[in-house]
Amino acid sequence: MSVEKFAQHLYGTAISTDLRETAWIVPAVQSIHIVAIAAVIGAAIVMDLRLAGVLATDETPRGVVKRHLPWMWAGLAVLLTSGFVLGLAEPYRVLTNLVFWVKMALVLTGFTLTLLFRYPILHPDYRIEHARAAKLIKPMAWASLAIWVLVVFCGRWIAYYQ
Amino acid sequence: MVPSLETQSGLMQTLYDSAIGTAIRESGTLFPWIESVHVLMIAIVVGTIAIVDLRLIGFSSHRRGARQLIVDMLPFTWVAFVFAIITGSLLFLSNATGYYESMPFRFKLLAIVIAGLNMAVFHLTAYRRIGEWDDRLPTPNAAKIAGISSLTLWILIVFLGRWIGYSYPLA
Repeated sequence: MSVEKFAQHLYGTAISTDLRETAWIVPAVQSIHIVAIAAVIGAAIVMDLRLAGVLATDETPRGVVKRHLPWMWAGLAVLLTSGFVLGLAEPYRVLTNLVFWVKMALVLTGFTLTLLFRYPILHPDYRIEHARAAKLIKPMAWASLAIWVLVVFCGRWIAYYQ
Repeated sequence: MVPSLETQSGLMQTLYDSAIGTAIRESGTLFPWIESVHVLMIAIVVGTIAIVDLRLIGFSSHRRGARQLIVDMLPFTWVAFVFAIITGSLLFLSNATGYYESMPFRFKLLAIVIAGLNMAVFHLTAYRRIGEWDDRLPTPNAAKIAGISSLTLWILIVFLGRWIGYSYPLA
């Protein structure tokens, strides 16, 4: 089944119609989506800039990641849930949109970088200078921050790119 | 009190007709680019303020002391806030008469003013005595109240901002 057919099928389902026809649902879920991306961006700024050696360098990476990683996971979970509802309400708007798929690829990359470069830091024996990919940590911190910024841009451009 | 549309309509029409306003309105891509930067700046403002607010409410953070955490986060908040104001003003110019009439837009500005007053009150009260509670958890009630009201107001500001595009006259 093609993406267009699938979007068409989804559009016709009762739940999709209900979500669209209740006027406040889409803006409310979009607002929740923006609050969640704010939480992710806040956590990313502190963690990534700490690992890049710019912010709070007198605190251990572990202490910083321990505080902010749970908020990033929580933010991503809310983003995924609210994004799913938005896609269900307006499948044509997203599923057939190139910017949406670019955004999903970026989210997957950002998620993978977080898993690979943040999660191990939580281990009590972790020492940043002895880490396996120690040289990659700084550039990957900047890359991760850039990815979340691009995700915000793509999110807004889904509405304009056809 | 908000001035009536009649007394302000001349000014709003002038802003609407301004070269910048017209350029943004007539370009197919300027508005979404400026809007994307606006959303990013709001995400930075709300994200960094939330980190401070949660500490004021009583969640521990990457800094033991609340004052050092505020020093860490506030530069990001302020720079992003200035860019949010600049991009927001540009978006306003593109349709000044429309935004002026929009109730969610009016309430959004009002909520930003209240959030500013809330911050001023915090700085003049609890923050003056921060030496007494800087590295203490739970935080004093004055700090908790400042944190809860700030977080509530900023979330409200996001909702009102999103509602502008879904209500009269900009829906």
